[in-house]
Amino acid sequence: MSDLARLKTGEKGRITAIGALGPMKRRLMDMGVLVGETVQVVKVAPLGDPIEIRVKSYSLSLRKQEATQIAVEILK
Amino acid sequence: MSVSAQARNTEEPAGSAPDLKVVPSRPIVVAVAGNPNAGKSTLINAIAGSRLHVGNWPGVTVEKKEAGFVFEGRPVRLVDLPGTYSLSPYSQEEIVARDYLVSARPDLILNVVDATNLERNLYLSVQLLELGIPLVMALNIFDEVEAKGYRIDMLTIEKQLGVRVVPTAATRKSGLDDLMREILATADNAGARIPRMPDYGPETGAALESALEVLREIHPALLARYPEQWLSLKLLERDPDVLKATNLPPQGRFGEISAEVERAKGADMETLMAESRYRLVAGLTREVLKTPDVRKADITEKIDRIVLNRFLGIPIFLAAMWLMFKLTFDVSSPFADWMDAMTAGPFQRWSAAILGAVGAPDWTLSLVNDGIIAGVGFVLVFVPVIFAMMFFITFLEGSGYMARAAFVMDRAMHAIGLHGKSFIPMLLSFGCNVPGIYATRTLENPRDKALTALLLPMMSCGARLPVYVLFAGIFFAEHSGTVIWSLYVMGIALAMVMGMVFKRTLFRGEAPMFIMELPPYRMPSMRSLCLHTWEKGKHFLIKAGTYILAVSVFVWFLLNLPWGVTHKQDSYLGRTGQATAPVFAPLGFGNWEAASSLLTGVIAKEIVVGTMGEIYAPGRAEEASDEPVPSLSEDLAGIAVGFGEAIRGAAHNVVSTFGVSSLAAQDEEPANSPLKTAVGGAFSPLSAYAFMAFVLLYMPCVVVAIAMRQEFGGWKWFGVAFAYQTALAWGVALLIYQAGSLLGLGG
Repeated sequence: MSDLARLKTGEKGRITAIGALGPMKRRLMDMGVLVGETVQVVKVAPLGDPIEIRVKSYSLSLRKQEATQIAVEILK
Repeated sequence: MSVSAQARNTEEPAGSAPDLKVVPSRPIVVAVAGNPNAGKSTLINAIAGSRLHVGNWPGVTVEKKEAGFVFEGRPVRLVDLPGTYSLSPYSQEEIVARDYLVSARPDLILNVVDATNLERNLYLSVQLLELGIPLVMALNIFDEVEAKGYRIDMLTIEKQLGVRVVPTAATRKSGLDDLMREILATADNAGARIPRMPDYGPETGAALESALEVLREIHPALLARYPEQWLSLKLLERDPDVLKATNLPPQGRFGEISAEVERAKGADMETLMAESRYRLVAGLTREVLKTPDVRKADITEKIDRIVLNRFLGIPIFLAAMWLMFKLTFDVSSPFADWMDAMTAGPFQRWSAAILGAVGAPDWTLSLVNDGIIAGVGFVLVFVPVIFAMMFFITFLEGSGYMARAAFVMDRAMHAIGLHGKSFIPMLLSFGCNVPGIYATRTLENPRDKALTALLLPMMSCGARLPVYVLFAGIFFAEHSGTVIWSLYVMGIALAMVMGMVFKRTLFRGEAPMFIMELPPYRMPSMRSLCLHTWEKGKHFLIKAGTYILAVSVFVWFLLNLPWGVTHKQDSYLGRTGQATAPVFAPLGFGNWEAASSLLTGVIAKEIVVGTMGEIYAPGRAEEASDEPVPSLSEDLAGIAVGFGEAIRGAAHNVVSTFGVSSLAAQDEEPANSPLKTAVGGAFSPLSAYAFMAFVLLYMPCVVVAIAMRQEFGGWKWFGVAFAYQTALAWGVALLIYQAGSLLGLGG
């Protein structure tokens, strides 16, 4: 078990739980970040944060701090 | 791709909506809804063109666009809803969109869908269907779908969702007539085309049915006010806004129904609903979307490999920002100079000629020229820079680079509590704070937007430079460059400090977010860019222009009342200067001249120099001119030639972006001018530095105030900026002067 912030560039994971609450959880849901969804880390910003992920075949960026609240299991 | 749409039109029985034909004057109201980046604006621009009317939604500063026109003899009114990803009540945009759909009940919804990103876009579509309003779906950006080799089975979407689907490509204006015809056909058959609630599975269906029964039994009045299926669903979701509007408790009968489902499923109703919607949408997408087996890296990925590269990302970003800054201010400045010359020269001469001819008293000439025309001129010089800024910001947003800029800069900006997108307003503020304030509209989150607007007046704008140039030139001759540089750094450093302070005080507890789509790169259409720029520029011209003009006239009265005042010292302004001077005494410049200059500097900070000129060296401005007065035709010719020169100047500046020019600081005082001598006597180097720091920091100018009011729909944030900046300016100037005096730098 890991969280999204710990995935390396190129790694894929399946979301197992979302720890965020309130507006952030809702926003993640609206953007398609849900339990069971497969996500891939595409890029890390030049300064090390935020990260770009691919979900539902589009690109989404979020801060690592936000990504730590998304639990994932790494997919090989 | 228009065949199916036309074939369907013939299916409709002709004349099935007699009531609409009897009263053709009632327009069909179409609410346009869609995700951000789905090409909604471009589509509306392509349909309605210049008939667009831009305003704000009542009570909020979310932009509202409307267009009324006649299509094939039928009046239509398009109402553009803010671009949203969802209809949840968590952002201003979503609340505005939802409230409009629920309470104004448009005849139908035009749902603009980015066909290249079907799944996430359909998530909003199913929420729109929950409202029970007839819906026509535009599968927009369809040209890219075809180019990518995707195939979309539109008939299945139509069948499964019970809506009509029309493929469009707004940037190429294709499919628009089909779309409009489908809208008319749907409006005419509205009764037969009310969509049913999307099928979210048996449990949800059963819960909805129970909720609806309770509503029918106990709250029949509510059913008349809201779409019934939607209301049941929102009550089950415990939607805070709906509960508040209906005065129902979150527990109660509906809470019980939800709790039962939640126990069975092990998640809260809101999450369950989101999952149900996505399940439906994912299933539908799988069924209708066929993508090529071999996926090639698309253009967006290729560009991002370079633009977001670990080593190249920041240099490319900085180069892009530098280019935008130079273009914004260099392209606009020749036009600003032209407008300035036009109002200062011909306009004032004409008004003098007209007023002289009708025998008006002298003071009216002064009011018209120094109050009104000067005020108009003051508004006009801002117009080019606002237009240029809007153009580039719109381009950055439309092309998709804005999101990348935020992505690259977020780490640095987040350190002081800001958002990656705050960088651009901050940067523009070094040229002029006014476009900076308007550029904050690119920030979606009200918290980030307010904080950015509060901090950006600390970026030393071009209008403050003439003050520094004058004072540093007099007191720090050899080191004037270093002194001016130190003021810029002081502004940035204090902005960082204040950012930390605000983060922990005014904005404490508000969770900032950076969950943002990185949309595909797209070339915005020139037409859409120009229309958008024009709308924004026009908005500024009318709204801000009125205020600025009023302030300019007001200041004229301050300077010229009471009647017959001959010395500036005796005018209301001078008296106010005398009264406030003691406040500045501990800062080292407690004389009425400095105080009066600071007061007029509130209009624009470069006016500090102008007022000082008038006070310290009166008469200089009214030097008699021996040149012959140009005739009307010469003036008109001059204006035309000037415009031509402005175009040439702008072109020249684009080519030689190294050319140094800025909004202000063009006319330098000659050495040993009376003004320099007078200022040299009135200040010491230490008090001069304290004065410059004060000018840097004290309240933002009137135009910034008006821009803030316009962007935030009230004076609140300007009030905060005014209070903290003036206090900070006083404190910092005090510290500089007193500490400097203690260290023996006072002489």
